[in-house]
Amino acid sequence: MRIKTRGRWRSGAGEVPRLPGTLALHRLDNGLTVGLLANRQAPVVTSALCYHAGTRDEEARHGGAAHFLEHMMFKGSAAYGPGEIDRRTQALGGANNAFTSHDATVYYFNFAADRWAEALAIEADRMAHLALDPAETGSERQVILEEIAMYDSDPWDALEMATMARLFPDHAYGRPVLGTKESLLATGDIDLRRFHSHFYRPDNATLIVAGDLGDDALDRVTAALGKLEAGAAPHPVLSPATFPTALERLDRDKGEVPRLLLALPAPAASDPEHAIARLLADLLAGGRASQLHRRLVDELELCAWISADVSDNLDSGHFSITAELIPGVEPERAEAALFAELAIRIATAPSEEELARARQIAIADWVFDHEKVHQQAVSAALSVALFTPDHHERQLAAMVEATADDLLAAAERWLHPERGAVLGWSYAR
Amino acid sequence: MTVADRGIVTNESVGKAADALGTRTGLTVRARRVEGAPVVAVRIWIPSGARAETAPGHAMLTGRMLAEGTRGRDFRRIAEEAENLGMNLTSFGGFEVYGVTADALARDWERALEWAAELTLESTFPADRAAFVARQIEADLESMGDQPEVRTAWGFLEQLYAPHPRARPVQGTVESLRAACPADTVAHHTRGLASGVLVGIAGAIDEDAVRKRAEELFSSLPKSAVPNAEPPAPSGTGERHREVATSAEDQAHLYMGHLTVPRGHADYEALELVAVVLGSGAGLTGRIPARIREREGLAYTAYAQTIAGSGFDPGRLVAYVGTSPDTVAQAERGVVEEIARLVDGGVTEDELEEARAYLLGRDPFQRETARQWAELLTEAALYGLPIDDPAWRLERLRAVDRSAAEAAARRHLRPADLLVTVGLPE
Repeated sequence: MRIKTRGRWRSGAGEVPRLPGTLALHRLDNGLTVGLLANRQAPVVTSALCYHAGTRDEEARHGGAAHFLEHMMFKGSAAYGPGEIDRRTQALGGANNAFTSHDATVYYFNFAADRWAEALAIEADRMAHLALDPAETGSERQVILEEIAMYDSDPWDALEMATMARLFPDHAYGRPVLGTKESLLATGDIDLRRFHSHFYRPDNATLIVAGDLGDDALDRVTAALGKLEAGAAPHPVLSPATFPTALERLDRDKGEVPRLLLALPAPAASDPEHAIARLLADLLAGGRASQLHRRLVDELELCAWISADVSDNLDSGHFSITAELIPGVEPERAEAALFAELAIRIATAPSEEELARARQIAIADWVFDHEKVHQQAVSAALSVALFTPDHHERQLAAMVEATADDLLAAAERWLHPERGAVLGWSYAR
Repeated sequence: MTVADRGIVTNESVGKAADALGTRTGLTVRARRVEGAPVVAVRIWIPSGARAETAPGHAMLTGRMLAEGTRGRDFRRIAEEAENLGMNLTSFGGFEVYGVTADALARDWERALEWAAELTLESTFPADRAAFVARQIEADLESMGDQPEVRTAWGFLEQLYAPHPRARPVQGTVESLRAACPADTVAHHTRGLASGVLVGIAGAIDEDAVRKRAEELFSSLPKSAVPNAEPPAPSGTGERHREVATSAEDQAHLYMGHLTVPRGHADYEALELVAVVLGSGAGLTGRIPARIREREGLAYTAYAQTIAGSGFDPGRLVAYVGTSPDTVAQAERGVVEEIARLVDGGVTEDELEEARAYLLGRDPFQRETARQWAELLTEAALYGLPIDDPAWRLERLRAVDRSAAEAAARRHLRPADLLVTVGLPE
């Protein structure tokens, strides 16, 4: 299979920018999807390997297994002993890291253009021959327990985890990516090996190589990864998320600053309406002239800042509005002002000026978020693995084309807290 | 999409320092064409940050106020007109500099430069906005203080730097912010403009045209700069060990270290290489994270730096470990032993070459975008060092051999003198 999408930076009024260079997609015989994004803006190459497996693919009793496995991918395989991947990366002057989300797990390497193929050897070895030594597993479990303690101590992380658990009570999106102390203690090397065996297969993975590639990039990828054995297990079938049917409150006491997180259901990232919901978020809080910022921060002087976002989840998404209050402001006042402003937005279409501004912010943010080769690689890897190769570009195009009526309809559909939402408060102690 | 990564902390000790303040002209403009860049980045840096303020928080308040109104526009119009173009036009206050940042789509380079100049030269510091911005900064300060590692870091900085301004948060204090008035910001900015203005611009631009336009826009500035008075030297609080109460659930934050050298010091690059060996390199390769996290499993985050925060003032050796309150002593012992092992036993040739390869290898990644170039250009102007020139950096790093690295470690790292701050749950 060979699909090509072409693009270059374009930033004239009304034009939608696309990734620079050409994304050429191939599928190897073992099912590995390979995307080559040739772009000579700097003598660097990023490889991003995205496994279509995340928290959603775990058994609930082994919550955190996907993230635990991500850690263990650096702790030894047949050709690379524990810590050797980092040492090799450093010796070659590169950088690496990985992250786990509810839907996917991504591993990446940044190298100078003349040595990027080392990443392929590493990825092949740990896909096929991961060690999962029990002693290393036990040591890394302790590391993750410290990571959980770190998240629990952070006021925003703790509030977000508690709020998501309430918004998605029966869905994997309500579980923390890190798992819990109990689920980690119940997860050992056998469970991790099962997860690895099921999902860390070429036919469940997408590799994007972006940057100053040579002409033989596909040959190199094929030589390194083309002989790995396919055989990914089917993904668990998740029931649709069931959301609260009324506004639920979650009150916590933490820190010195009152913090608010209003989480509402939103369309999944694959839903055509997702792009409109994202533009709605920009309209509400994308920039200082946005509706919520103007009202709650600059006019009423209730909040130090406010933001809005829509998740990129594969299944049901969520809309989140977050804010920190000015010292001394009563939370009730801020809450009432927020709900009053949302009521206005449900009843009133945005002006043409507001709409045009939100579109410009969306375009500029897209450009700012895709400047680096690394950003381009990771973005493309997630698009190809979870959605379509041009997912982000199509989303941006849909945002630019959305009308005031579209936004009014989206606000009416998604911004009614009383129809089902979670309002999380972290009050000052 | 909730995301968790491996918690790797990379070396943030981007170069700083040198005593360039005394020789600066009123306006310094650096421009660079970045072929094909979709963004133009404008940086206006005024070298009168918190180290030059007369009361805590005045530099940040002054910086933040630059976007709150000018002679021609109020804050609403400034925001609307910038955002109509998708431009990020913001102002800021920092420890060494305060100023204005404009990131715009490439077509809008001239507007970005003009508006950045307008905010720099024509701000009116309206009183009603000053009161609110001070409260916003107070909220930022309290919000940061809610993060246990930040609260612990504040205690550590005070332990090392008192009575120097680096000893306190750049936001100032609740008391100083509440006492600040618009006249304070006007006075700070008047001194700031006299201390010189640095302009860095990068993007798909015509360098000569941009330089000329910048010189026109800033032509009202005096020809030469007036250096600020130097802050009191850092001497520390005299405590060897201090504890800080935090809101952590069940985690301790351990900071250990002491002062080292400023940016312009001859041993800067040698210490940068030593830092990679100790724990600021790729992944978890350094001796401290390898022991604390990889071998002993004590922490999610463990790193070490040798020139953290190095600028006009001395940077610091800092080893950080986030660990259980029960294992603080073990972590502390591990850090001391690893630093002592490096000072006493030196580094291997392999370690040094890997560290050099790492620093040189990541260099192209720091010169990818217009925004990165604009920061490098302005930073080079600030310190009077050609840190934007990859050849200069290559030469400096290549000049450090094993004996030079070990000598620098012996001169500047003192394991017996490490100061310790531990943040513990209340």
